[in-house]
Amino acid sequence: MSSAVVPPDAVAAPALPDVLPPPRRRGRVGTFAYRHPTILAGGALLAVMLLIAVFAPVLHTVDPTALAPARRLRAPSGEYWFGTDMLGRDIYSRVMYGARVSLLVGFAVALLSSAIGMLIGLVSGYVRWTDAVIMRVMDGLMAIPGILLAIALMALTRGSVQNVIIAITVPQVPQVSRLVRGLVLSLREQPYVEAAVAAGTPGWKIILRHILPNTLAPLMVQATYICGSAMIIEAILSFIGAGTPPIIPSWGNIMAEGRALWQVKPYIVFFPAAFLSVTVLAVNLLGDGLRDALDPRAARRL
Amino acid sequence: MLAYIVRRVLATIPVMAVVAMFVFSLLYIAPGDPAAIIAGDQATPADIVRIHAQLGLDRPFLVRFADWFWHVLNGDLGTSIFTNLPVTHLIAQRVEPTVSLMLLTMVLSIVIAVPMGVLAAWKQGSWIDRLIMVNAVIGFSVPVFVIGYVLAYIFALQLDWLPVQGFTSISHGFWPFLKSLILPAVTLGGIYIALIARITRATMLEVLSQDYVRTAKSKGVGQYAVLFLHALKNAAVPIVTVIGLGVALLIGGAVVTETVFAIPGLGRLTVDAILRRDYPVIQGVVLLFSFAYVLVNLLVDLSYTFFDPRIRY
Repeated sequence: MSSAVVPPDAVAAPALPDVLPPPRRRGRVGTFAYRHPTILAGGALLAVMLLIAVFAPVLHTVDPTALAPARRLRAPSGEYWFGTDMLGRDIYSRVMYGARVSLLVGFAVALLSSAIGMLIGLVSGYVRWTDAVIMRVMDGLMAIPGILLAIALMALTRGSVQNVIIAITVPQVPQVSRLVRGLVLSLREQPYVEAAVAAGTPGWKIILRHILPNTLAPLMVQATYICGSAMIIEAILSFIGAGTPPIIPSWGNIMAEGRALWQVKPYIVFFPAAFLSVTVLAVNLLGDGLRDALDPRAARRL
Repeated sequence: MLAYIVRRVLATIPVMAVVAMFVFSLLYIAPGDPAAIIAGDQATPADIVRIHAQLGLDRPFLVRFADWFWHVLNGDLGTSIFTNLPVTHLIAQRVEPTVSLMLLTMVLSIVIAVPMGVLAAWKQGSWIDRLIMVNAVIGFSVPVFVIGYVLAYIFALQLDWLPVQGFTSISHGFWPFLKSLILPAVTLGGIYIALIARITRATMLEVLSQDYVRTAKSKGVGQYAVLFLHALKNAAVPIVTVIGLGVALLIGGAVVTETVFAIPGLGRLTVDAILRRDYPVIQGVVLLFSFAYVLVNLLVDLSYTFFDPRIRY
């Protein structure tokens, strides 16, 4: 397809900068920020969390797993910013390190489920005879509530970050493949695809060159939302004791450990809860902003 | 109409078949040999083989699946490994709190979210629209147990208006029953309200730009009649669809909410079963919840003809 497509056809917009008008006096970045405040706010918050995750060891933290029974259950103070838990571990350090698990799980699930879902969606949408079978299986998977499916999968395996990622990815795949399949079904009727078929372009090349690039924009928005909900599901799994192993500090784990004592020591639960909420909020703001930027028609509606 | 209902009901059969297949595979590939557990520490390999044959574990996958499925159809979900009680019995004990919680949450959420969405669409672009939409984003982002702890901290611990946790059966009076469910229902409703308010606003915006809405306004129909009688009824199909799909969130959220508020329901049963690796119970609960979810969405599909008589099948 031709390259210079600017809105109104948002699906065809290949990447962010192309959607924007040429820079005015405010400059490119300024215009972008002005037009999409949610992308800016979400992106900035997420960047802060990323920095926390990367630089956790140098952010005035101590070993997050170091036990110190003599200093159990200290309230937040100048020495222990977020207090200590029932084993005397420093909650500030645990929360900082916990960012790593949440972000890792969020990004990994978003990438993995997009990749697998896209593959299934492309096959199902383009290779007609596979469609009925694949979509019946996807319907069945979608009939099992996502968190329940993840819980059931975690029950089969030992708790590890890797298994958590897989267990959260599986319920997301049907959603992505449905989205991609729908896009492929409408894209394959487009004149430029018909032209490519008429010109004798092989099927794989049509998929790769003409169809796949046009599914990326909606997929990116979807992946952002998946990233946010994956972080919540990771925390939920860890919270009920079926997620990240307790030895690794994650926000869900810290809350799970604070659960028994939360009526007397609510700060153990509230600090990781605040960080988790802010991070998911950042991702969702980013998703809303991307959706508005990539699909101006939906922007007016939602 | 009848033909449509029959067709729609038949269409759920392959879906439930896939669900059943998956749920059965869960037990099939579960680690740990039930025969070895039953036989105990003193068992010889010959004992284990004998118990295998007794339980029918030595038969091929499909035969075992058919056998299991036949039992499920007859209302037999197997026996809990941990408590040695029938799974159906365990589920029956736990149904009341979960069903009450979910029904109350649904009613509460719809009553709050739909007017919110209508208001946001009516006052599009105003501060009230922004406020409602910001709240919706927050509702999506704050995990259910965080809402639960914050609400319990404020309304139960600090203000002492409502019980901190636990569940009171309706047989002990309606008021205590309702009191024990208010906080959990609001907690569970957070994301559901956000979801419904958002779709209501989006659909209403579309409907409000239609010609018949302008006609109704210009012939002097009152603002509320236009919004709730003319527009909302025509916006109902997508809203009802999302209400149905959102039940998946309610089911997942119930597992967490029941843990936060120590409610002895199906969600708590699931969590306990996972911690004990009680696979028949996990299987039964997943199967039951999925069945309920499919059923709700079947009802949603059937309700379309009620909201939009143009939909005839």
